[in-house]
Amino acid sequence: MTKPIIELKKADLTLGDGASSVHVLKGIDLTVEAGESVGIVGPSGSGKSTLLMVLAGLEKIDSGEIYISGNPIHAMSEDEVADFRGRNVGIVFQSFHLIPNMTALENVAVPLELAGRSDAFDVARKELAAVGLAERLTHYPGELSGGEQQRVAIARALAPSPAMLIADEPTGNLDTETGRQIADLLFAQREERGMTLLLVTHDHNLADRCGRQVRVRSGEILNDSEDAGSKKAAVA
Amino acid sequence: MTAAINGSTLRRGDLRLALRLALREMRGGLSGFYIFLACIALGTAAIAGVNSVSRSITAAITEEGQTILGADIRFELQNRPATEEESAFLDGQGTMTETVGLRSMVRLPDGSDQTLVEAKAVDALYPLYGEFQTTPQLGFEALYGDEEGRFGVAVAPLLLERLEVAPGDTVLLGNARFEIRAIIDSEPDALSDGFGFAPRLIMSEAGLDAAGLIQVGSLVEYAYKIRLQPGVPESAVRQLRANADEAFPSAGWSVRSRSNAAPALSANIVRFSQFLTLVGLTALIVGGVGVANAVRAYLDSKRGVIATFKCLGASGGFVFSVYLVQILIIATIGIAAGLVLGALMPVLASAALAGILPVSSDTAVYPGALLLAAVFGYLTALAFALLPLGRSRDVPATALFREQGFDAHGLPRKRYLLAAAVLIAALMALAIGTSYDRFIAGVFLGAIAFAFVVLRLVSGLIEALARRAPNVKSTALRLAIGNIHRPGALTPSVVLSLGLGLALLVTLALIDGNLRREISGSLPERAPNFFFVDIQSTEVDAFSELVQEVVPGGKIVQVPMLRGRITEFNGVDVREIDVPVEGAWVLRGDRGVTYAKNMPESSSLTEGEWWAPDHAGEPLVSFSAEEGGALGLKLGDLITVNVLGRNVTARIANFRDVEWESLSINFVMVFSPNTFAGAPHAWLATLTDPESGPMDEGEVLRAVTNAFPTVTSVRVKDALDVVNRIVGQLATAIRAAAAVALVASVLVLAGALAAGNRARAHDAVVLKTLGATRRTLIRAFSYEYMILGLATAVFALFAGGVAAWFVVSRIMTLPSQFLPDVAVLTVIAALIVTVGIGLAGTWRVLGQKAAPILRNL
Repeated sequence: MTKPIIELKKADLTLGDGASSVHVLKGIDLTVEAGESVGIVGPSGSGKSTLLMVLAGLEKIDSGEIYISGNPIHAMSEDEVADFRGRNVGIVFQSFHLIPNMTALENVAVPLELAGRSDAFDVARKELAAVGLAERLTHYPGELSGGEQQRVAIARALAPSPAMLIADEPTGNLDTETGRQIADLLFAQREERGMTLLLVTHDHNLADRCGRQVRVRSGEILNDSEDAGSKKAAVA
Repeated sequence: MTAAINGSTLRRGDLRLALRLALREMRGGLSGFYIFLACIALGTAAIAGVNSVSRSITAAITEEGQTILGADIRFELQNRPATEEESAFLDGQGTMTETVGLRSMVRLPDGSDQTLVEAKAVDALYPLYGEFQTTPQLGFEALYGDEEGRFGVAVAPLLLERLEVAPGDTVLLGNARFEIRAIIDSEPDALSDGFGFAPRLIMSEAGLDAAGLIQVGSLVEYAYKIRLQPGVPESAVRQLRANADEAFPSAGWSVRSRSNAAPALSANIVRFSQFLTLVGLTALIVGGVGVANAVRAYLDSKRGVIATFKCLGASGGFVFSVYLVQILIIATIGIAAGLVLGALMPVLASAALAGILPVSSDTAVYPGALLLAAVFGYLTALAFALLPLGRSRDVPATALFREQGFDAHGLPRKRYLLAAAVLIAALMALAIGTSYDRFIAGVFLGAIAFAFVVLRLVSGLIEALARRAPNVKSTALRLAIGNIHRPGALTPSVVLSLGLGLALLVTLALIDGNLRREISGSLPERAPNFFFVDIQSTEVDAFSELVQEVVPGGKIVQVPMLRGRITEFNGVDVREIDVPVEGAWVLRGDRGVTYAKNMPESSSLTEGEWWAPDHAGEPLVSFSAEEGGALGLKLGDLITVNVLGRNVTARIANFRDVEWESLSINFVMVFSPNTFAGAPHAWLATLTDPESGPMDEGEVLRAVTNAFPTVTSVRVKDALDVVNRIVGQLATAIRAAAAVALVASVLVLAGALAAGNRARAHDAVVLKTLGATRRTLIRAFSYEYMILGLATAVFALFAGGVAAWFVVSRIMTLPSQFLPDVAVLTVIAALIVTVGIGLAGTWRVLGQKAAPILRNL
């Protein structure tokens, strides 16, 4: 058996102080093998987006351990995690978060430039072609449709050839048809590159397309389709 | 995959990449940075301009030293011409021209009008350098020669205006008739011959002799100007000076060379420009608040982008670099604009100051002045931008998901605080280091720093008071009070930005007002109406009778007047004594001295006793207590004075308080009458008549000038008008610089209010949906701006009042008064600015349609 790409051990996180504090993750354990596609589902405020942020190294946990490809990101400094993330984790947001004053090509090239790649623009051009935007290289985000913006965001996330792609409600801001096309693109790319996909969504249809579903509620993993019926992976 | 994970490390802080990304980020244009740009450009332009003009003037003085001095070297003697030996020595050094300067009265032949002139007699070699231009341009003989009993003169246009005469007319000067043959267009050495109180009149030495103006004890300046061989080095000029001093050690002349043609003027220009630089720096620092506001607002709007950068692998330090580069680029644009404006100022100044001061007419750029301004600009921009920039570094990547957990207004990491502190320290060190008077510069900057702290406290106090204010009935007022203390209120921005500029303006207005009041308000009540100079001993009684006849109620005081220079204290040459600045003027050049049987009326003894009226023993002297103290003199000390080439030694018998401000006759030294027994001298007289009006004064002038043509009459009011005019011109320059600071204030205020309007649009729409009318909202906003404007004005009045009091009473040692008109004007200005700018922006806000804003709530 190959080494798991994600190992989350007793991850615990509380946000806010005093009376306004919320215990968002309650000692979660989660293991994901390389190449898996995992849909993380659950009601609003259940902690699924926070779980995603923790896995991307965007949020530091209070206790527990996180290993991505065997690297202990819980023990890294903020800048070390940023460097690590830039090379190994691609993120796709619900609101795209493209940089408005940069063209589609420049947006896609940014993570490669930050990683010091001299071929940043060549790779970015290829990635945009791969998501069907070869004709839109010099367009600014404001000149693109919502679906096109999300395609640029996906190209940007895929450009550094990350081992893992994290997507937070990638179709949440799109109409049904465009959402379906984006989902097709995401899964096609995952298939083609053999990378791990973690997807947070409210959309059951989208979650159903994942090989595995993890249901989160009140900071605990309520249900994991991988071992459905055999055990509950929640830790209080 | 593992290879990718363990790939090369991120090149943190890669400046080239930071520059590339910064330039991409800036494609959106400079929107949001106009106030930043204007503030930096304005402050930099003020500093660059003031320093460029100052350097242009001092450069012109140096470059045109020969023309300004009218010579390579100039020897000046007071009240006596050079002896034959001295004259022969000076003449042997090169080509020499002699000019004689004095003040006198010129009058119309029918005796109906007269005016004071600065007369100057020249010889045929004048000028040795530069060109003496007149209209019409005439040769020496044609201009000054004797034609049918009338010598010719060239006069300044002001004289024609005052006496209502024209070229060709005849005027009387002393005992002779003169024909006005030309109008002076340009007198090359006017600057080194001193600024005149009165219009210039130039004649020949023969004309001066004919006028008979030079009599015993007359106040006359003899200047011997020498042109050396072309190419004579500066060292030779210095050697000539040393030789002259060695050959004639007791000549008592003052010497100036071409490299130092107008030393007092140069020093004053430098001193004044450094003061204006400090005022310009205030503008820059006030603008710094605008810089900080703009940078904070910009980075707030970039939080999403910063978080995205971080999600894509950028470190905090790299994010800081990207935005630091952007701020530096914007600052460079602002500074460049300021430098261009500043560099153009000498061109504008040369037009404005033509005929008053020399300004280099070449379109020279003064790199030193521009560099200083640029350094000030960068230091200010960075010092104020660093804190918001430092905070941007800590924007978390999670900002893309939620707002929680980041305080955009908290303090950044220690290293940024430290760096900001270092920049501010560098700014202050540069300002103090480049100042003429480091103490004043230090006090000035300390006051600004203190004002910053106090303003922050004032805004906190206003917020606290608003929070604790009792509930009021008026909805509008309640809303206004709420707006003053709620989170994100405009209070700190308005108080800080307007407070500094207004406080500076109040300070300068109060200093100016107090100075003017002191010069023109309080003095004439005590001061005499006239000074009469050069009254001969044979004329004293007749003069007194005549004046008494014209002004029966007037009080005439007449004292003997000699000129003398202190040469020794207790047998030691004063040049070898280290004298403190306060007393140095007493030893500089010739001083008026007198003798008296009795103590002068406006004096009182502080130490020692007055001599007996018939004192016949050792010569005694009474010394002014203040100046004596500054020179370290004590009772019994011996003072040697050179009067008319003779050394006289007297013992200090007493010290007395002298009230210089009274403008009555005062002398540092009053000798016992036997000291100058038999010495030839003239008399000085004053006439005091509080009842006399301009008509009576005109009558006195006419009577005295017609009866005693060689007596010079100076109307105190005219002299004060001249001083007032000079103070007025300086005040205009200071006000212009202060106005720059106020404009910076208003810009910052406008920026802060504009930023506030974005939040206001949201509030206004919500309030409107809840039933608030446009009128209620306008009233609420007006009340808010009024309260803030009033509170700021009160602070400015208090702070400006204290600062002005310090300068007027402690530095200038003059009585200081608070001037109510300044207070009223300040309050009005503050209200107009805050309510005006505030409502101008809010008006647009009130017209906003609710739906688009509500959709985005």
